[in-house]
Amino acid sequence: MKITGYSTTLYEFPVSRRTGDANSPSGRIRGSGSLLELYTDEGLTGIAFGGAGAAPQIRSMVEGILMGEDPRQVTGLWKRMVDRAFKGGHDGIVNDAISVLDVAMWDLKSKFNDEPLWKTLGGSNPKVQAYASGLDYPLSDQEIEDWYGTMAADHGFKGGKLKVGLDQDADLRRIARMKKGLEHATDLPNLYIDANEFWNPKQAIRKVREIEEQFDIAWVEEPARRWDFLGLRRISDSIKAPVCAGENLDTLGDFLPYFHNRSADVVQVSHGMTGITCALQLADAAYGFELPITLGGSPGNLNAQLAPCMPNFLTLESQGPVPDDGVMTSDIKIVDGWAVCGKKPGTGVSYDPEALAKQKVESVTASSGSSPFGRRPGAGLWDNPPTKEESAAAATGVNGTFYVPPHGSRNQ
Amino acid sequence: MKITGYKLEKYIEQLDRAIGDANYPKGDDLMGMSILRIETDEGITGIAPGGNDAIESLFHVIEGKDPRGVVGLWKEMVDWVHKGNNEGTVNAAISAIDVALWDLKAKINNEPLWQTLGAREGRAKAYASDIGYNLSDDELHDFYSRMADMGIDGGKIKIGLNMKDDLRRIGIMNDALRKVKNRPYLMIDTNEYWSPKQAIRYISQIEQHFDIFWAEEPARRWDYDGLRQVSRGISAAVASGENLNDVGQMYPLISQQAIDVANVGVGHSGITGARQVANMCYAYELPVTMMNCPANFMVHLAAALPNHNMMEVVDPGREDAFESWDNHIEDGWIVIGNAPGLGISLNQDKIRALQAIELNRKPGFPFPRREGAGLWIKDIEPGEVSWK
Repeated sequence: MKITGYSTTLYEFPVSRRTGDANSPSGRIRGSGSLLELYTDEGLTGIAFGGAGAAPQIRSMVEGILMGEDPRQVTGLWKRMVDRAFKGGHDGIVNDAISVLDVAMWDLKSKFNDEPLWKTLGGSNPKVQAYASGLDYPLSDQEIEDWYGTMAADHGFKGGKLKVGLDQDADLRRIARMKKGLEHATDLPNLYIDANEFWNPKQAIRKVREIEEQFDIAWVEEPARRWDFLGLRRISDSIKAPVCAGENLDTLGDFLPYFHNRSADVVQVSHGMTGITCALQLADAAYGFELPITLGGSPGNLNAQLAPCMPNFLTLESQGPVPDDGVMTSDIKIVDGWAVCGKKPGTGVSYDPEALAKQKVESVTASSGSSPFGRRPGAGLWDNPPTKEESAAAATGVNGTFYVPPHGSRNQ
Repeated sequence: MKITGYKLEKYIEQLDRAIGDANYPKGDDLMGMSILRIETDEGITGIAPGGNDAIESLFHVIEGKDPRGVVGLWKEMVDWVHKGNNEGTVNAAISAIDVALWDLKAKINNEPLWQTLGAREGRAKAYASDIGYNLSDDELHDFYSRMADMGIDGGKIKIGLNMKDDLRRIGIMNDALRKVKNRPYLMIDTNEYWSPKQAIRYISQIEQHFDIFWAEEPARRWDYDGLRQVSRGISAAVASGENLNDVGQMYPLISQQAIDVANVGVGHSGITGARQVANMCYAYELPVTMMNCPANFMVHLAAALPNHNMMEVVDPGREDAFESWDNHIEDGWIVIGNAPGLGISLNQDKIRALQAIELNRKPGFPFPRREGAGLWIKDIEPGEVSWK
């Protein structure tokens, strides 16, 4: 089997619920996607979602390295791409390109074997633990309880992850509402909280300790900056909950300080960290250091395909049981709180051609792009609760107003 | 596809030459070996060099399962042996099962295992290893000369008992390998015979004469403080790890920066376990080197590892049970062919013939630990080896 070409397609879609985190409490109402198709002489097509801003890097990797190569040799080809990006480092946009190409090659490798990816990777059980992740900063208290309630009652999720960080009293209230929602599925839900790097280490320690007086927290995610291995470690030493971090790191090397200093108690991995190839390396390394792995949110819950072969796999982030972009299709189902990979060859994540044709765009608008908000002023420094304008925008719901606060305003 | 049964055959191999190290310098040419076959309902059989009676107690874990789930099955086996832990005989049994399952997985795909593992090319750089404290100066020269003729530019010699002999013999290895490269890679291996400070004294003296690429097992396998001390005390890299059983045992060596090169091999609980160790080392920027094995079958994994340095080739002649194997050495690299799986085919007649041989003694391998180890150096006694 030889790679003969590729194409990328950009598309936009309205989101099914308003989503945001501590950096974007007013939330987004549109999203975007990028589809990569990798063609072969056998008629098989490898599919991966992502790499929206990486078109030149994808072209360079395909034309310079992958054309004419056998995608079944994906691990070796991964190394060639990484070595090609040597001088600048394989992070940022180059890393996005390598990641998405790596996923498409793994998709081809398992399609060629006519088996689902979890089996290609050597998994023996396609069923893995999952938790519901609401990206829920813009949701009202009632909406939080309702969303987690639906996730628990209809899909069996027994854990949930709430976006927190800007307003301690509101966070305490909202955690209780998430818990109440999840109690539709279990008396003892796993409560995760995620501050998306908004706090500094001592802020995190103060706030989490206070939260822990009321709640048993199953992990605190990104309570300090991604690279602050000292701060993360300090937080872990000072609170009861595990510190979960890693989702914004790019490479295996980025994790060395985490491993060496035991900065993260739960290592967050995704195929966006230099592809499936690197995610597997990371899982092995974390296993060696006795650290559990959690897989981050992914298109169509694709990361569920990786989990069965990871010996120290803990739980999978699911932002919902089905893709909400109207384009993607997934063979991974949520059953009674578990993510269950189906039997379709490859990643099991594909697309509806008609929907794609309708939603296709030439370029992605800023408000639908990957980071329309950026980092919130005050992060790591002072409290910056949602402004009236932000709260008002959030309250307009999924069909409402998109609002990005101007820099230089009173709270900014 | 389902696993339906297995067959374990043991035999004694008469090597082409004796092998010996610091613990057993006189060496021995008999080696107890075994072959494991794992059978499936579709008639495809996975094979592995190795295996022991502990397989009987483990087989129920994989029976009736799909062999393509090898990584998950590895975990199921390791979890099954939890209390006694994945060590020793049980570890060797899991290793053999894991290898046979990988052989099956690749055979089901009708591809060589290196491709199943995702390698871009079926090849890995080789270095020569004599395991030959018993070899005379001429035999030692002939061995490295033969290896150099295949383009191999590195050698690892067994030393540790007598400085004068060792310096002379390292020189012989160096001279033979210089056919290929003016400064060949020179490695020394003492198989845990020294204490850390003995190692530092001894290696420092050797380093006045030779540029040593790595010193292997200069202290005990688990002594991460000692290995680290040795690494800080000499110029050469410290290599160790081949006698440890899994990632958990490698943990202190890696996290304490006790080693500079990790020996990985099938003994790290199979291909699955060895790959975990290699990936763990990759996160720590540590190179790995694959340990020797019959017909060099672990080269399949070596080819797929991003941080693999070079693989040990001993070549003592322990492939009598095999009809053929699909790799050869070319320009200093082990080059693998496209035969499905490990590329090993067995000869049942030869296995039966090996089993029928009656021997009047037991194999000397694996070697016991030599007197004085870690305490004082017990020199080779006159007559202990053919050359002294």
